[in-house]
This record gives sequence, C-alpha cells and structure tokens, in this order.
Amino acid sequence: MITIKIDGRSVEAKEGTTVLENARALKIDIPTLCYHKDLSPFGACRLCTVEVKANGKWGLAASCQTVVSEGMEIRTDSEAVRESRRQAAALLYYRYPRTEAVREAARRCGVPVAEAETDGKDCILCGLCVRTCREVVGVSALRFIDRGLGRDVEEPRIEFLPDACIGCGSCAFVCPTGYVGMESLDGKRVIWNKVFKMAACNVCGRYFAPVEQLERISAMTGVPVSALMTCVSCR
Amino acid sequence: MNRVAFSSWNGKIVDNRKGGGAKAKEVKPLNLDGIAYRALMGWNGVILADPKADVPALAVAYLKEARKLSCGECAVCMIGIDRVLAILEGPEGGKITPADLDEIEAIAKNVALTAKCNFGRGAAMTPVADAVRHFRKEFLAAGKRAPAGGKTYGSAVTAPCMEACPAHLDVPGYIELIKNNRFRDSLDLIRRGCILPGVIGRACTHPCEAACVRNDIDAPVAIRLLKRAAADRDLAEGAGALPGPKEEKKERIAVIGAGPAGLSAAYNLRRLGYEVTVFEALPKAGGMAAVGIPDYRLPKDILNHEIDLIKRTGVNIKLNTPVDKLDWSAFAEAGFAAVFLAVGAHVGTKIGCKGEDVEDGGVVQGAEFLRHVNLGRKIEPKKKVVIIGGGNVALDCARSCLRLGFEEVEIVYRRSRAEMPGSREEIEEALHEGVKITYLAAPVGIVRKGGKVTAVECVKMKLGEPDESGRRRPIPIEGSEFTVKTDMVIAATGQKPDLSLLSGKDKGSVATPWGTIKADAVSCSTQVPRIFAGGDCVSGPATLIEALEMGNRAARSIDAYLRGTTFPKDLSFEGIDLKEQRDKGFVQKTPAQTPPMLPVADRLKDFAEVEGGFNADEAVKEAGRCLRCYRLMVWE
Repeated sequence: MITIKIDGRSVEAKEGTTVLENARALKIDIPTLCYHKDLSPFGACRLCTVEVKANGKWGLAASCQTVVSEGMEIRTDSEAVRESRRQAAALLYYRYPRTEAVREAARRCGVPVAEAETDGKDCILCGLCVRTCREVVGVSALRFIDRGLGRDVEEPRIEFLPDACIGCGSCAFVCPTGYVGMESLDGKRVIWNKVFKMAACNVCGRYFAPVEQLERISAMTGVPVSALMTCVSCR
Repeated sequence: MNRVAFSSWNGKIVDNRKGGGAKAKEVKPLNLDGIAYRALMGWNGVILADPKADVPALAVAYLKEARKLSCGECAVCMIGIDRVLAILEGPEGGKITPADLDEIEAIAKNVALTAKCNFGRGAAMTPVADAVRHFRKEFLAAGKRAPAGGKTYGSAVTAPCMEACPAHLDVPGYIELIKNNRFRDSLDLIRRGCILPGVIGRACTHPCEAACVRNDIDAPVAIRLLKRAAADRDLAEGAGALPGPKEEKKERIAVIGAGPAGLSAAYNLRRLGYEVTVFEALPKAGGMAAVGIPDYRLPKDILNHEIDLIKRTGVNIKLNTPVDKLDWSAFAEAGFAAVFLAVGAHVGTKIGCKGEDVEDGGVVQGAEFLRHVNLGRKIEPKKKVVIIGGGNVALDCARSCLRLGFEEVEIVYRRSRAEMPGSREEIEEALHEGVKITYLAAPVGIVRKGGKVTAVECVKMKLGEPDESGRRRPIPIEGSEFTVKTDMVIAATGQKPDLSLLSGKDKGSVATPWGTIKADAVSCSTQVPRIFAGGDCVSGPATLIEALEMGNRAARSIDAYLRGTTFPKDLSFEGIDLKEQRDKGFVQKTPAQTPPMLPVADRLKDFAEVEGGFNADEAVKEAGRCLRCYRLMVWE
C-alpha cells in the first residue's frame, strides 16, 4: 500500500491502481463516458480530468489513465479541473447534441443543455465496444478507423469485421448511447447489419445464443456444441 | 527577409509589426529548407516574415491540415478543431465577435492542456491560440469565412522519430495502425519506404528510438520491434503479395548488386512499371543483410521471404553474375535505359600493422569472415581469436566465433566503450555471451612462430582531442607495448567498395579518391548520364536503412530522368528543434514491453535467433505508448 493525497485527504491506495479507482472508492464524483472497470482505460472523453502534482507542478491528467504513486497529490474539484471538464463536455455536446449520455454528462459538468427534439444515438467514439470485443470477448471484430497522415479519413469511425464477429451482443450491451443496436426476431439476431442464426434451447425451446457464439465457445473449451445447446435457465 | 515581422515561436514573442525602427528586434524567420514564406504557422507558433500576410486565412488553412492528422480518439482535439473551424468559417458568414475569439482561446488552451497525445497538446491548437491572441484586430475585421482568396498554402508534417529515420518512415502512423489492431495496414505503410520490414525490424540501428520523446519520460517506444511485429504477423498469416506495377513501361533498367539499396531500387522501379534485372555477383541475394549479418540476429528465411516477394512482382535477379566491367555502351546495346550501381562495400580495409599481409590464413578480414560464415563455408574453430575493431562487424565476428566453437574471443578496440560505434545492444549481448573487450589498445604487429600466428603485439592508447568524426582521437602511449596471445586475427576496422568494375575514362569521373563512387547524395546521379549509384558503395559502410532509402530515391530519380520530370526532393527540417513543445502535459510513466531473449546458455550451440518478437497483444500494448508527436507546418 502507498499513501496518496486526494483533495487534501491522505489515503492508502493499492499500488498499480488508478486515480479514478481511488477517487470513486472514496465516493468522489468524477464523470466518465469511456471508462469501464473491466476494460483497459482509453482516455477518450477527457471528462475524468483531475489535477496531479508532478515534479512540483500541478498539471491536468485523465484520472482513468493515471496510476497512483507514493506521495501523489490529486485535486478532483479545483477551478482548473471544473473548467477543463466543462470544456470537454461542451465540445462533446456541440458534436452530439441529441445523444442522451452526452447531454447527461454535459449537465453534470455545468454546460447549459437545450431541450432535445429527438433522441440521437450517435457513436461518440468512446471505444467501449472495441475494447470489450478485444479484451472480454477476445475476437477483435471491431476496430478504429482513425484519421492520420495521408490516410484521407474524413470522419473517424468504428469498423466492423463480419467474419470475426460471433454475434454475442457485448458491444451493444456496453454501448453508452444506443448506437450499437441489436435486434432479435424469429430465431435471428441482427447486429452491425450481420444476421446471426440463433440456437434454440433443447429443453425450453427458447432462442438463447447465436450459433456462431456457441461454436466459438466450443472451439475454445473443447466442449462439443451439442453439449452447449441448453440455455442458462434450464441447465 | 532578414528579420521577422512577428514571431511567437516556442512562446517567445517578437513583435516588429509597427516597424519598430531602431527598436526592432533582429530575429530571423525560422529557416524551413530555404522556403521564402510570407507567414508560417507551425506546431510551435506563428511566424510572419511579411507584416501584411493574412493570418486569419492562414489559421483556417492550418486547421484544415490539422484536422487531417487529429486521429479522433480524444474528444477535445477532434471536436475542438471542428468547433474552431465552424467559428472562423461559419456557414452563414457574418462577423467574428470578441466572444467568438474568447471561445477559441479557451478551447485552444484546454486542448493543449488535456489532449491525449502530443499532436493535440502541441500542433493542433498552439499556433491558433497565438494567432487569436496577437492578431485579434485582424480576426475581427476578417469576418467569418475568412477570405482564402484562392491562395495555395504549403504544408509539411514530420515528427522527431520520422526525422531521425533515414527513410523518414511515418513512425507514429504505422504504430497507430498497430495500436488499432491493423497490422496489415501498418505493414503496407512501412513498405512505402522500407521494402525489407522483417529485416529492418531485426537489424536496424533504430535512430528513431534515440529521437523518441519518451526518452525524457521513461524509455523510448520499441519502434524497431513494432515494425518487426507487423512483418512477422503478416508472415504468420500467410503473407500477402506486394503491390505490383499499375502500368507497364517499355524501358528496362539494370541494377548491379542485390543488397538493400539494389533491392529497394529494383522493387520501386518495378512498381513504377519498369522491367528490372538485378545482377548479383554472389550466390545469394541480400548483400550485407545476407552475407554480413549473422543468422542469430537475422534468420535468413526472413530475408529470403522478403526477397521472394520482390521477385514475385517481376524483378529478375541473376545470381552468380558479377559485372566485371561497367561499360555503358554494353548496357545500352543490351537494351537498358539506365543502370543503378549498388555494389556495396565488401572489401575489408587494412589494420595498418606489421605482418598483416602474410597470406597464411592467420589474419582474415571481418567482412570476408562473415561472408564465409553466412555462405556456409566450413570454418575450423581455433582456441583463441583476436578481433580488431569496435563496430558491428567486429561484434558480429566475435559472437559468430563463439558459436563456431572458438574457446576464447577477444575484441581489441583503440578507444573506450563510449566511442565504440557498435550498437549498445550488440555490445551488451556480446559481453553476456562471454566476449572479452580490451579497450584503448591498438595492434602494432602480428607475431608468428613456425609460420603460424601466435600473438598480436599491441600498444596502449589514450584519448586526445575530438577528431573530424567528433570522437576523441586515440594516441599511442609510448613504451606501453604488450602482447595478446592468439591463434588467429580478424581485422574488422572498416570496409570499402570493390571498384574493379570501373575502368577506363569512367573511373576518374565516377570514383572518389577515397575509393567510393561519386554520386549525388540526394538524386543518386553520377557524372555519367544514365548511370546512378547508391548504398554503401557511395556512402561507405553505413546502415541497412540508409541503403534502402538511397534505393527508394534512386528509383524516383531514375524515373524522373527517364520521364523528363523534376526529381521530387524531400523537404528538410534541418536546424528546427522538433522536440520543442510548450505544453507537454502529464504523461503516465509506462514501462516498455521487452521481447523474450534466448537464454545465454542456449545461444552458443548454433546460430538460432537470439531476440524474440512481440506477440499481437504485446505489440498493441507497446504501440499504445506512442505519444504521436506529429509536427505540422503550414505556410503562405
């Protein structure tokens, strides 16, 4: 354990943990849009900014990506922090004015939010789906198309690789805006415009998982697909 | 222009706009390859050579270029640029208000303080903030949709690593593609300037890593190993073909030498549509990559695979085909439109001591020794070998000798470890493996008994003033002679090209007095029309990547010559400090990924590769350490 100072309070922190994890353990309110405790931090939304004292100087840092060190001093609610979060939230709201998750973050950061006419479901490039697919599901069916030198990309976006996708739906589950939609109908599931055949439970007959997902589980565990054909409720 | 009208470069404000008369500060505009710009915006500030230059219009042009580089991963930089452009351009036209300018300043400040990467912290907004602060009146007068007036702007992008790389590879670009799990795209990008990525990913001296901004934070990004990861993964997945020519051209080109320079020129010429024949004297293609670098550093199946890909685009490589005499008329008669000479530097230079010329096999040249090892010739290990020299050839010889079964291997180098030109990793690995290095000693004579080498007589050295290479000159200490017992001596003190193919009148105009080929360092042209030259035979022994880059340029230059167009030269950033950046932000220290290494105990029984590569997860993780220090400049 090491000792850090958050907003003037000296607290014990586990080595290797982040400022955000420690602040939240202390019930300090820090807004985030791209953070998930089970995924590697990504630092996309810049809403979790805090001030950290490094080399004797206070500087702004994304708390989700900042690992604590002995004696580290952190401010989570200074004027600089609030202004920086307000700026980041204002830009996100400027770009995605109808997306509820963004509107909510903007309100929390003190950005005036107008009444929305329709509910938007924009992709805000938070990368939660990409990281879930890679780090949790392990198939990497989603990846970023970023702008860069000579790349001629007008707008960055998420690319879907249909051959790698097993239709598990984790990306739709983790998406904070509803951009990644998933529809199920008549034994079929549609996600990222790919149609998956659903497997029916051999006990209750309910459609419970895409066949491709069961095949993937079978390939990883060595358990034959036939043994996976019972849904969780009937097992 | 002798002095700037305005400069905010690196945060230092020089303002001579009101004339200033005697008070004007004599600050010269930043020299960007001699370009006579009126005004320039770069990642580190605004410079006006002409006080009448239109700064609001330049700011819009700058932001449009910045937008192309802003990756989109963090919200503030990507959206911030769009927001500021919307304010300055405004679809409905109209006035720019003081409140608009305050908003731009606030956005710019926050982007610089909180963006995720060094592009955002530096290039994205820094000069825009400077412009808005110091040219408020001009912005207010300009109104929205700042008048571009059909003006064209120059622009350039580089980064500290890109500038350090002889081939100016887009290092942040190919690293970012790896980070985004786009290994194949990354490899395609690397190949635009480096056609042997698996080779370079193993054996490059990686000056990019020495320039990496992370050196000042924790450790440089493992750029070389990331390149290797892109190449290795492609090979493991079945290896895609190289892009071939879009259209065939009728001219045929001869390339002499299938080393890195020759292969690189050959492929790039083929890609441009020429029919290319490569003449190689040795039974193997690859030049020094094939016969200079031992297998434990560069397994030959990697090199052969990459050569094979080049051959499959239609490049014809004729092995065992030395060109004895460079005679332009003979090439012209055979139907060649141009020749690229890239014969390398394979002849060892003399140590300059008594008894080294006796041809009894007791003294051998380092490059020749490595060639024999690499071509699989049988070498009888002796008990002890002394290697003279301190470069990578000396280290390669020493580590090879250990693997061949020599019991004792000693390097004798005339300066100290600090001046040793061999790469740091190679020196460390050689010491781990048991090579002994004696510093500050130079041979004065080879001692023989009964017709056999028995020792080297050496003299101790001390270091004097720096010489023209910048390293301190070694000076013999009188009376300090000592002998080192040995059964064999390897001279690894340098190589030069074999220029015996030059004869007659061409020799004087093509060769330099110091035994290399005279060619333009940029265009590779020689004084003989249609003959171009590059690689080690022009530069003297240099690195693989330098040779590859000369091949790249030679291809463009030959194409320009044959098409009658101008050779497109790269912009030089010489004299500009690319590491300068005002807001460096807080960067989390993150240790670099380290590759698995073969245990020392397992290394010496054969020539198995010592260094392992990153797997996909390690590569993606390491790529995430890149700070993306793109430096953008836009000028009018």
